[in-house]
Amino acid sequence: MIIQEGMSIQRKLEILSDAAKFDVACTSSGVDRKGNQTGIGNSLACGICHTFSADGRCISLLKILFTNECIFDCKYCINRSSNDVVRASFTPKELCELTIEFYRRNYIEGLFLSSGIKVSPNHTMELIFETLRMLREEYHFNGYIHCKAIPGSDPVLIEAIGWYADRMSVNLEFPTAESLKQLAPHKNRKNILKPMRQIQLRRESNNEYLGIHDNKQPHYNAPVLRDDVFGMDSIYNKGPSNDNSLLKIDDVNYKGGISLYKRPSIKRDKFVPAGQSTQMIIGATEESDYQIMSVSQSLYDNFNLKRVFYSAFVNVNDDSNLPSTQDGPPLLREHRLYQADWLIRFYGFRISELLTEKNPNFNVFLDPKCDWAIRHLEMFPVEVNKADYRTLLRVPGIGVNSARRIIAARKTAVLGFKDLKAMGIVLKRAVYFITCNGRMMYPIKLNEDFITRELLTANDRLPYGIDRDITYKQLSLFDDISFKSDYKQDAKTDIKLVPQRYSPI
Amino acid sequence: MDNTKIFVCENSIDGIFTAIYQAWSSGYGHANVKIEEQCDKNNYSNMELFSEYIIVKTDFDKALKVSKSVKNKISQEAFDMVCRAALSDYQGKGDLIYRFLILGFHMGGKIVNHLSHEVVNRIFKLNRYVNYEVHHLLGFIRFSEQDNRILTSIIHPKNNVLSLVTPHFADRLPNEKFVIFDGNRNICSLHVPGKSWIIAEIPGIEKNDCRDIVDDEYGNLWKAFFDNIAIKERVNPKLQRNNLPLRFRKDMTEFITGNAISTL
Ligand code: SF4
Repeated sequence: MIIQEGMSIQRKLEILSDAAKFDVACTSSGVDRKGNQTGIGNSLACGICHTFSADGRCISLLKILFTNECIFDCKYCINRSSNDVVRASFTPKELCELTIEFYRRNYIEGLFLSSGIKVSPNHTMELIFETLRMLREEYHFNGYIHCKAIPGSDPVLIEAIGWYADRMSVNLEFPTAESLKQLAPHKNRKNILKPMRQIQLRRESNNEYLGIHDNKQPHYNAPVLRDDVFGMDSIYNKGPSNDNSLLKIDDVNYKGGISLYKRPSIKRDKFVPAGQSTQMIIGATEESDYQIMSVSQSLYDNFNLKRVFYSAFVNVNDDSNLPSTQDGPPLLREHRLYQADWLIRFYGFRISELLTEKNPNFNVFLDPKCDWAIRHLEMFPVEVNKADYRTLLRVPGIGVNSARRIIAARKTAVLGFKDLKAMGIVLKRAVYFITCNGRMMYPIKLNEDFITRELLTANDRLPYGIDRDITYKQLSLFDDISFKSDYKQDAKTDIKLVPQRYSPI
Repeated sequence: MDNTKIFVCENSIDGIFTAIYQAWSSGYGHANVKIEEQCDKNNYSNMELFSEYIIVKTDFDKALKVSKSVKNKISQEAFDMVCRAALSDYQGKGDLIYRFLILGFHMGGKIVNHLSHEVVNRIFKLNRYVNYEVHHLLGFIRFSEQDNRILTSIIHPKNNVLSLVTPHFADRLPNEKFVIFDGNRNICSLHVPGKSWIIAEIPGIEKNDCRDIVDDEYGNLWKAFFDNIAIKERVNPKLQRNNLPLRFRKDMTEFITGNAISTL
């Protein structure tokens, strides 16, 4: 291991931010906290982006490793012990000063502290603990802190840190235990789920104590639309996710020595108030989208996670045992997973509605909601002036904001298409699925092929730069199809569109 | 109409409210009056030949009366919406607010949901437009530390947002002295610990007055962080530009190169 003596802060910052860049959860959302007049800092539940890096991603927090002197040898990681890279470590004081000075200048919302494993998981966690303690108690920092819980560290340390942090996360890394074993030989699934369970249970008992009712009742437990149509009765009625065997809770019956540790002296009465998140690497292993999303769903259901993040794999070590990412990381796939994740968290979808074992990967060309809607034309069109919130949410092109706006606006008027447009609701995709006052915008026959073609031309809004994932070769498969829309023409066509699906690497 | 009465007022909430008070009580009838706020852009260039122009002198008592009745007879929410619209850079906001209030006094509090009405819709859109910029600036504002430890910042917002962004920083940095300059309007907000913040007018600010006098070590550390946190394999300038419009960058530390400061 190359360790340099007397390294400058600038050099450490370069090394340890570079080493942290693949951590995705750079968000500061989830807690509303006013300033306390004596210290420094507050927090906004909606989160604030402070800048956007050259890759277009939001920078909200000082995202950094405490150290990259790691004793583990995870195959996908630049900091693995077998790599010949320059190593560095901060001291707690250095990190506190960086955080405070960055915060004063409004560069950041707070700190996102991760770390390689130096000496041992416990030793590392103690350093993290000391950093957070100093920040909160000596520097009186009242801004946002997200920190990693290191798998395999003592539950007492996790408990202690949880009173200082706003959010904690343990990275699941891969959807299956087998992949984890292969690529991260020093980690194991149990050690990852154990702290997750500990944090979850502690938050629940803390909330109970405070009389706070967290979103323990997942809103999707109630039937959405007509569930007989979904053929999903069983799932709604069974309750949270018995539909996959990828995560077994019985693995993790946490019995820790929590009671030994006393709460910190400062006035913070909430344990991990912004909840916990996790992250999975996408495209390094063979799991399907269906497997990945099933795991996410059960993390939401059973571990009450706030967010699951997906990180498109980049083969930083040029490891020949891992898939090459020479043509760029699988960004489109990552994007589709985020879209589906959104549908599960905010739109009342279950993963079994979107994918199945036989059809395990998302459509390259259509976003998951359009893809679903086209397969369920019998449920459309819906009447904008009558449909309830959840039904509106299922219409392609209508998001949470649009649905809310429609519901507010129709209290004072009967809405027509012109009104929807004036309200800023994008009709490009929605027109095929809604009526206003019993009428569709155009006389459209609800025919799967026709709508598919129309939606393909309406093009889903991929973030800039992602479209390069779809190779022109794939697109040219559709060359013979006229993408022009012609509403008068009957939509019958002899070309059956078989949506292309990518196979996992 | 050839006998429209146009009430020309100062480009401020109080100015617009005073004009509304006068227009309302003038007895000419809503259809025959118009409110026009003064701004640099419309220096009477589109003066209507047959209209009568009435210059309104801002009167705080009248403005206060209007804001009181908006709050009491419509709602606090409607009042906030009107204020934000008044802070926008939209030309014609004065008259739009007037039309909104006519409708509001008629409908009461439920006007804020009446989005299918054109006037309400436009007020709503103005609000969204101002809010976007405010939210952007909460993140994009950069402070520089001067050698007396005062934090200074300069911004060039489209809308007059100082009064909307400053409370956030006063809450966040209670123990700091800070100044935020609006370089487009020559006004600034000032905060001193233990006192409430104020907005002051200052003629002529030099950009360089607000940037680092001493070579701020943390500015350089921030740039180092900013460069290293990007994933090279995902570099995507279009996405970056979409999320962070170019117009903000000239005031942001990480986009200012050492030499650029002196040439700005
Ligand atoms: S534990 Fe594994 S993933 Fe984490 S820094 Fe060490 S090698 Fe990298």
